[in-house]
Amino acid sequence: MSGTATMFAHQRPVGLGFAVLIALLYVFLLVPLVTIVGASFTAGLLIEFPPRGFSLQWYREFFARRDLVDGLLLSLRIGAITAVVTTVVATMAALCGQVLSGRKSGWFQLGMTLPLLVPELLTAVGLLFFLFKIGLGKTVLGLQMGHILMSFPYAYVSITAALRQVPASLDEASASLGATQWQTFRMVILPLIMPGVVMGAIFAFINSFDLYTISLLLKPLGGNTLPLALFDFLTYEFKPTAAAAATISIVLSVIGVALVQKLVGLQRAF
Amino acid sequence: MATVDVKNLRKRYDDFVALDGVSIAARSGELVTLLGPSGCGKSTTLRCLAGFLEPDGGEIELDGQSILATPSNRRGFGVVFQNYALFPHMTVAENIGYGLKLRKCSADEIKTRVHDVMSLVKLTGLEHRMPREISGGQQQRVALARALVLKPKLLLLDEPLANLDARLRDEVRWLIRDLQQQSGITAFYVTHDQSEAMAISDMVAVMKKGRVAQFASPREIYQKPVERYVADFTGEANFLSCRPLRALGEGRMRVRVGGAELDVECVPSLKPDDAAELLLRPESLALAGSGEAATFRGKIVKSAFLGASQHCEIALADGGVLKLTTPPNTPVRIGEDVGITVDRSHAWLMPEVAA
Repeated sequence: MSGTATMFAHQRPVGLGFAVLIALLYVFLLVPLVTIVGASFTAGLLIEFPPRGFSLQWYREFFARRDLVDGLLLSLRIGAITAVVTTVVATMAALCGQVLSGRKSGWFQLGMTLPLLVPELLTAVGLLFFLFKIGLGKTVLGLQMGHILMSFPYAYVSITAALRQVPASLDEASASLGATQWQTFRMVILPLIMPGVVMGAIFAFINSFDLYTISLLLKPLGGNTLPLALFDFLTYEFKPTAAAAATISIVLSVIGVALVQKLVGLQRAF
Repeated sequence: MATVDVKNLRKRYDDFVALDGVSIAARSGELVTLLGPSGCGKSTTLRCLAGFLEPDGGEIELDGQSILATPSNRRGFGVVFQNYALFPHMTVAENIGYGLKLRKCSADEIKTRVHDVMSLVKLTGLEHRMPREISGGQQQRVALARALVLKPKLLLLDEPLANLDARLRDEVRWLIRDLQQQSGITAFYVTHDQSEAMAISDMVAVMKKGRVAQFASPREIYQKPVERYVADFTGEANFLSCRPLRALGEGRMRVRVGGAELDVECVPSLKPDDAAELLLRPESLALAGSGEAATFRGKIVKSAFLGASQHCEIALADGGVLKLTTPPNTPVRIGEDVGITVDRSHAWLMPEVAA
């Protein structure tokens, strides 16, 4: 904690009003999380806060339910593949965007971030038709493609931002010292944009883990991702099992953020 | 050891002509400076040499062979950048050894060669520092070492001192010149600083709007510029417009200026009655002592004490103004009538704009 103290020591004193505002903002953001995590440990039968006693029964219940566990496993698998594929493709796209100049670069940028701008439902409907056309309707592969498409802009933006920080002269210096373009990428560019790449992968994973609409339309027969399975579950039952599932999601996200911190440091990632 | 021939190089971007027929040659072991204001094409020329840019037309030859088809990573030229361009994630030693590693040298060989070049640029002991942990001057020496360790055929320097403060600038400048001379590497050096260009170069190309205005030795550029632009760019100068009266044999002319007639050296192509400018550098002028025959007479309008010398501006009767420097203790009073003597061997007559 002394690190935090010195970090703030050199900053100008923050006004009281501003401090209160920040505090309220944190309360607003954190209260739902605290409530849901607390409720998951209840010994009672309903989602309630403060929890009634303490028990892990709802976690046992969660892991005992085939539909929820299958949903979690499918979400994890799709999320992991999305993270890897999206990162590779987005890195290539970002490199391409880098060499385009002027107006072309603007259009390219717009095209690459289009999935963020078009309503998810429209993309989902469009993809549904497209996937049926090419014979991938209602398959895991089709769903996987949808997730990659929706997660791509996050990785692209993160990697492009990292690439902008690398001066063009490093590329030229490397070439003048005898490096091929691939060698320059591997030994100079990639290590320097690594924070952005890791960030992009984690964004892509978290985004994929969270997607609902597109999963609903593209999901394979008999296969649910965790958000879909949870929604189905909540339609009929209002048990703290859902809170346990939510807590597991939160823990996964925290692990993701902690990984960024550990691997690249949050300061450098943003 | 390499000779370089740049012939009629051309490059344009949309409407802007960056290079409009640039021709420069470097003999083996020479340091050639490209001097000019920003936008004159000096960096563009260097980038064409390095292979970062492809010219639209013209030719670049190394030892008589065209290198235009060779990509930059196979030209074997060392490049030093204004912003150093060190790899920030590598230590000093890793930066310097980068090119050797690409050439698959053994770890031992890399270590010895990096060590040798580091002592050459006086960086011993900084092997394991990161670039951000060392000063700007040290960073530029790392960049220099990184290029030199590969024994390049040609060394290209793009404003290498521009980001350094004045004291370091001198130090690194002499280091660059010493290393270049010791190793006998042919070098091209881009700068907009005339004193830097004078001090370091064997040859200077003064550039103007994508062309070479004059390509000559520093002495010739300074003392015998082909046009006013070149004289202006290479240091303090006085210009008096005048009309040459008649030629006095090879490269000499009689000229009427400021109420006097002078016999001076001139650009050989100059003809009587051409519009011309007489160049008088401040150091070729002096206040006339009592009893000395003055060439010009005028009134002191400005003076400034600079410590080692005094700076004066003198208005001539016909409206021209001459700047000159005097010894620090010469009495100078504003408004005083004075005579000025001219060292005629350093007066130079040239056209206002070269044909």
